[in-house]
Amino acid sequence: MARKARSVEPTPAEALASVDGSSERDGWKPEDLKMFQFLRGVLNHIDIAYVATYPPQECGIATFTRDLAMAISKYTPFSDPVVVAVSGEADIEPYPKIVKFQIRKPNPHSYLDAAEFLNQSQISVVNIQHEYGIFGGQDGEYILDFLKKLRKPAVATLHTVLFDPYPNQRRIVREIAELCSAVVVMVKMGKQMLIENYGIPPERIVVIRHGVPNVHRVSATVAKKALGISDRPVLSTFGLINRGKGVEYAIRAMPRILEKHPDALYLVLGETHPGVRNYEGESYRKELLQLVADLGLEQHVRFNNRYLMLEELISYLCATDVYITSYVNRDQIVSGTLAYALGCGKAIVSTPYLYAEEVLSKGKGMLVDFRSPDEISQAVDYILLNPGFREEMEARAYRYGRRAAWFNVAIDYLDLFHSTRSLPKAAPAVIPSRVNPNKTDRSKTA
Amino acid sequence: MDADLDIKIRRMGDIPVVDLAGDIDGYTCIKLRDVIIELLKAGDRKVVISMAKVSYIDSSGLGTLVGGLRRINEHDGGLALSGAGPQIRKVLSITGLSKVFSVFNDETEAIRSL
Repeated sequence: MARKARSVEPTPAEALASVDGSSERDGWKPEDLKMFQFLRGVLNHIDIAYVATYPPQECGIATFTRDLAMAISKYTPFSDPVVVAVSGEADIEPYPKIVKFQIRKPNPHSYLDAAEFLNQSQISVVNIQHEYGIFGGQDGEYILDFLKKLRKPAVATLHTVLFDPYPNQRRIVREIAELCSAVVVMVKMGKQMLIENYGIPPERIVVIRHGVPNVHRVSATVAKKALGISDRPVLSTFGLINRGKGVEYAIRAMPRILEKHPDALYLVLGETHPGVRNYEGESYRKELLQLVADLGLEQHVRFNNRYLMLEELISYLCATDVYITSYVNRDQIVSGTLAYALGCGKAIVSTPYLYAEEVLSKGKGMLVDFRSPDEISQAVDYILLNPGFREEMEARAYRYGRRAAWFNVAIDYLDLFHSTRSLPKAAPAVIPSRVNPNKTDRSKTA
Repeated sequence: MDADLDIKIRRMGDIPVVDLAGDIDGYTCIKLRDVIIELLKAGDRKVVISMAKVSYIDSSGLGTLVGGLRRINEHDGGLALSGAGPQIRKVLSITGLSKVFSVFNDETEAIRSL
């Protein structure tokens, strides 16, 4: 029901403006304190804990967690978010203040201590960012010990949903769903897989899109000029480089692309994934560099081997004519880099991994076969030669990106968290022990 | 096509109705803030903001609305929102700002409330 605006004597927007940096603070007056106190009284309050990796750790989930926490905090200026960061064994990262507790990944006791820390805190709801590899134990199973000890309601965001998981991987996801009030996936296909392949009740599963930065479009021409790459068709790929990205297939597409677009430039933006660097060093990047040399593409493929800050990344994306994601694994259920490219309204060429297949549907991008330089070159060529087609594709991508802007995603999460917080702890879901016998466990292969 | 905020002002009797179309976010909220300030400078004290064509509002946009309410209240005026769609209502409700603003489905009702 509509309510009359309260005639609060003085001031401000400060409660919100102070956290979002808007210029409302320019009008700050001493009496604004009353408005501030008023807002403190009426705005909804919820203290959220995020259990995940967190920057300065360099990984997609760390970035996701920071972006989500920041987006939510702008709507909850009087709440006190906390991050329980999953770290390595020895190194204590120079974390920001929001990180109040560290889980040492390989140490099982650390997970119990973290749960107890949260049990003793004012936290209303706990959000776990789940990917098998970021937690300790076999397939990251220590997170289950954490959840069993936790006495606060929890929501898990699943960044990996395998179509055909190993038995232990399936068990872990099922137990997470049992121990949490809800699990979040970022595409509808993920929900379907959790229902059919894992036997998780649909009412436990919520689909919330991957957030993207709020970007207002600038023309590629203007963005290119700022980067000193004017007048060249620009293709790009970004993210933490690893073999799964299939960058070599995009590089192999370049000779064909150059036949019609002789000034084309392919930018590979980002450093090697730190986890990859730990076990194979820079060997993948060296192979890519060698491939560029073998194909004589030194003037047409440029690497930027460092972690890019958001602003710089957006600049490169805005300067991009065609964004390429050439992942080689169909199971990829989410891609932050693809989400960002959509947010910037880019024409996109992608292999049909699960996330891409869903978000690029209805003309938001062009799908090409896995490991197919020929198809990549054909798609890029078509986009560059057909500006009308490209503009329509960019417009559709941008519209999708607006709906997935972090400020919208934050509202969806807040909605879920508020509905969850009333529960003291997840009411155990009735999950059948075996479902869909056709989805048999596979044997582990190398 | 690009996300932007289009602002038009029309008058219903003595009351200015600010028609917004697009997104109210960190990029566009300054325009809205300036419009409210200009209305106050021009002597208006009661304002209806029509949200019917607002697609999205972020925290900066909410901050601007709260700032507008503050400024208008300082002049013993009144601010009402009309026509907010489900997404905007959801944002107001989840943040708690539905307790701060008068929100009406109907513009006439909003005008009458002031």
